[in-house]
Amino acid sequence: MKKIVIVFSLLILLGSCTVVKEYEKVYINDPDMALESKKIDRFKTNIHSYREAASGGNGGKTGGGCGCN
Amino acid sequence: MQLGKLNIIFTVIICVFSSNAYAQFTVINDSVLNDSTYKKRVLENTEISFLFSLYTQDGENAATNGGIGSEQLIDATPTFVVSVPINDDDVLTIDAGISAYTSASSSNINPFDSDKADAFQASSGASSADVWGNFTGIYSHSSDDRNKIWSGKLSVSAEYDYFSVGFGGGRAWLFNEKNTEFSIHGNVYLDTWNTVYPIELRSGKSKSKVEDDGTINIEDDEDNFNINNYSITGDTNYLPIFSPFKSKGRNSYSASLGFSQILSRSIQLSLVYDIVMQQGLLSTPFHRIHFQDYGNSYIEGYHLADAIETLPDSRVKMAGGMRLNIYLNRIFVLRNQYRYYQDNWGIKSHTLIFELPIKLADKITLIPSYRYYNQTAADYFAPYNKHLSTEKFYTSDYDLSKFNSNQFGLGISYTDLDLKHNIWKVKLKSIDFQLNKYDRNTSFNSFYGAFAFKFILDS
Repeated sequence: MKKIVIVFSLLILLGSCTVVKEYEKVYINDPDMALESKKIDRFKTNIHSYREAASGGNGGKTGGGCGCN
Repeated sequence: MQLGKLNIIFTVIICVFSSNAYAQFTVINDSVLNDSTYKKRVLENTEISFLFSLYTQDGENAATNGGIGSEQLIDATPTFVVSVPINDDDVLTIDAGISAYTSASSSNINPFDSDKADAFQASSGASSADVWGNFTGIYSHSSDDRNKIWSGKLSVSAEYDYFSVGFGGGRAWLFNEKNTEFSIHGNVYLDTWNTVYPIELRSGKSKSKVEDDGTINIEDDEDNFNINNYSITGDTNYLPIFSPFKSKGRNSYSASLGFSQILSRSIQLSLVYDIVMQQGLLSTPFHRIHFQDYGNSYIEGYHLADAIETLPDSRVKMAGGMRLNIYLNRIFVLRNQYRYYQDNWGIKSHTLIFELPIKLADKITLIPSYRYYNQTAADYFAPYNKHLSTEKFYTSDYDLSKFNSNQFGLGISYTDLDLKHNIWKVKLKSIDFQLNKYDRNTSFNSFYGAFAFKFILDS
């Protein structure tokens, strides 16, 4: 786990040294590149929060508001 | 890894990234300010989304029967989401939906209301079907330069044995020519159970009502069940451990830190860290428990509860998630997600998701996906008839057992950015459709389909 964290820390630190300008964000602005889930994915996230012990970490339910785990 | 260590690691990562991004922000601050002379509306037109999902599941470990019996369930969920621009900076989003389901498992809260009680057959009583309703309102405000966003949220949801009120708020900061975003959110849910116990524990007179002063009153049972009218087989000296829960409330407090970063013209990444504290009634009142050191008592062959699920009245949950999206070329995008979860009930879990959107045509995208999930068991879990009456906490809910699962999905998406299709002032923006098959390495499996239409209301 620690190794994964360290690798991605370095990756981001290196990456964040560059700035992508607005006119260079054609690929980044593609709808499939969005970092949040699509609306249609909310059902999957809800189902998983009922049927699995884990929740959160994905922008969905974290607990409360339902009789789920 | 301890919860505390993981908390520190994620917090340090987010702080390091944020400080890095803020340093760059100060350098390019002037150019951002120049951009702010032109203010584009946050949302140009009202957006209306209609979503619908149909979910089915089956398995042989129903918690209502103490970890055995049919888990068959069918659920249909229609939902409307409407986003309205209030002015150039503010957007109000209303999210309203209902979820109607039939459940073989919950029908067996009272298994004696059909021809013959059977954990593997659904009963026909009131608990066999229910409707869950939810209403959420979100108001967001963006600063003139669009680099700061505030949001507030209010939600209400209800089903026959549950009522919830939630509220929360958040703030996001964008730096570095919007290459970097840092966000923080907080939510509180105040939930109340209508405690529904297994029918044999109510026994015609034992539905409890806890008064404000803490006294417990016994009410008549609307199911009109009287155990004395039935013949008990097996151990005829049926003596369950049961006392109604005094507290019916469940409060959940959550905090979330988010960070996203554009790494290059075709790669971006986000990190999310959630911590949740729950207090109150965390057990499900109608989940039966059977003790291996107790005699087995039956009515019509149905195993009567020795007790009900009893779990600690507090839980701290922590989840750290990461997304990495890569625009491979004009046809393929690779979307990756990983989540690590841990709580103080002894559960640890890993989740991996891969999605590969394939652009078949200008407006059509095919989206195959795969999700792997595993979890360890809660400290308080034991299978059907394996708990001991000497234990302090017990559950036979297989959702808290050790398992792993695989989910395969296929979606198709149609997006018309030109908004060419319209009826009167309503223009179609996108259609999404997806199917998913979910299998655990236990007996449980499920199938789920959903579609979503998104419309733009021309002003």
